[in-house]
Amino acid sequence: MSNHLATAPHGKVTLFGVLRSESIRFFSLNSTRILVLLAIVFYVGIAAVATWGIGSLSASMGDTDQMPGMEGLSAPGFAAELIGSGLVFSQLILGVLGVLLFSGEFTTGSAVSTFLASPRRLRVLAAKGILIILLTAVVQIISSLLAFAISKPIAENYQMNLEFSSDAFQRVLWYGTLAVTMAALIGLALGMLLRNSAGGITSLAALFFVLPIILSILTTLTDWAQDIAKFTPDQLGMGLATPASVVTDLETWQQLLGVAGWIVLPLVLGAILLTKRDIK
Amino acid sequence: MIQAEQLTKKYGGKTVVDNASFTVQEGMVTGFLGPNGAGKSTTMRMIVGLAKPTSGEVLVNGHDFKKSRHPLTEVGTLLEAKSVHKSLTPLAHLRAMAATAGIPKSRVHEVLDLTGLSSVQRKKVGGFSLGMGQRLGIATALLGDPQVLILDEPVNGLDPEGVAWVRNLARQQAADGKTVFISSHLMSEMAQTADHLIVIGRGRIMADAPITEFIDNGLDQTIVRSADIEILMNALNGEGIQLRRIDEHGLEVTGPDSETIGRRALEYGVVLSELRPLQRTLEDAYMELTRDAVEYHSNTVAETGGGK
Repeated sequence: MSNHLATAPHGKVTLFGVLRSESIRFFSLNSTRILVLLAIVFYVGIAAVATWGIGSLSASMGDTDQMPGMEGLSAPGFAAELIGSGLVFSQLILGVLGVLLFSGEFTTGSAVSTFLASPRRLRVLAAKGILIILLTAVVQIISSLLAFAISKPIAENYQMNLEFSSDAFQRVLWYGTLAVTMAALIGLALGMLLRNSAGGITSLAALFFVLPIILSILTTLTDWAQDIAKFTPDQLGMGLATPASVVTDLETWQQLLGVAGWIVLPLVLGAILLTKRDIK
Repeated sequence: MIQAEQLTKKYGGKTVVDNASFTVQEGMVTGFLGPNGAGKSTTMRMIVGLAKPTSGEVLVNGHDFKKSRHPLTEVGTLLEAKSVHKSLTPLAHLRAMAATAGIPKSRVHEVLDLTGLSSVQRKKVGGFSLGMGQRLGIATALLGDPQVLILDEPVNGLDPEGVAWVRNLARQQAADGKTVFISSHLMSEMAQTADHLIVIGRGRIMADAPITEFIDNGLDQTIVRSADIEILMNALNGEGIQLRRIDEHGLEVTGPDSETIGRRALEYGVVLSELRPLQRTLEDAYMELTRDAVEYHSNTVAETGGGK
């Protein structure tokens, strides 16, 4: 029986080491693979169905340009925004992945192992943050490109204008990716704050689905609700990615600032509590 | 070496660890003994920075473990049997742990072999028995070949062969000059493994001494049986000797050792049918200490050395 090392390790913990460690565990879990696959399938599927549905509708109605309220159908940006139809689902699914990345540590007790290997807790948070940013960005870009490739022939079939280099598609591609990454980071922060998967996922869904509904009801009654509604993460992200569908009076820089706030504030709050609270 | 200085942990209004000061030396096995809920795990969590002391401090090898640059090679820790994601395999878990500190993959396979987990290295941890989870926890603790080994109830759920293996492991690590700190609520386990014992009860350190002291500081007790028990009682009567009749022919003698009693019986021509020294076991000493801990509020002066 030998307990000795054949080769002495240096044993020094680095951010890169923690990142590698997080990646190994993350990609060993089935939940990760399932959620990533779902995110891609939903996004591409919804884009294709939306393009086909709207395309066939406009074809059956003939020349829609003359109809009031339907002028947008053949507008250059319209088909591109249809590709972004599934953005809120990507936000939700990859947001859940963000929640699980942190809450899973506490629900399974693996937080003990994680923070014994890297007692500096913020380094773990940094590694998880980098991992989820890279993962969601890559997944969302892949989803967008696949959605474009599938929707393009459908759009052409219905004489809809869909160009890769168009301003509208580039917005869906890049701002859409930003919106999804924001959701995943909010999820990460919720998982870190609540330390509970069900609670984190429910809060995330409430933030992206329930809050906009409540605010839209309130908007009919009060003015201030309208001002708040503009700044929900859902409206900020959609307003950037699909400006024709989500009307807002905010400037782009104001929207970006709002997104930055939704990324930074929950993470900072979570980071403070992460360093203060005990690991159970 | 682990040095705790007036370590205190309160959860809400409850004091779980109360002003604990102790030193765990290298080169020996130090047992950390106490009933369930005495504060053993909380103390260990504070040592490795998972729980923050309400006051006081604890140093590992002279510094705060939370600031350690080489945590896995410095301290190997087993806290709970299953501090691993249930959907991970032992291989993935250990590889991830190793990656954090740049420990080579070969070491992962070494500790898997060492703990007998090689055959299940690709099975999910969620389906593991308590004993297998415990083995994985020990494998994780050994991963960095650490200077300090902290094991919280390591033999829980292990079969006899596993228990013996942990005992040997602890002894060998100590012999190599490592610091070994093992908690248990079973004195019998500690008696076979530890060189030094720290006893905790209700969050307070009750005793901190070499294990031999726990056995030696009591008075001898002997059970004697004879048909002529009255004669023997007269013969033994004297200063510092307590006699207690346990039945018609039986007597419990506290004070002199069994040899002295045997000689006295010979002198008086008394035939003994039984002469049995009562071993004052570690278990007795432990029961005594923890009884004092339980009664702490009503009896502040802890009595020691009273025997049974």
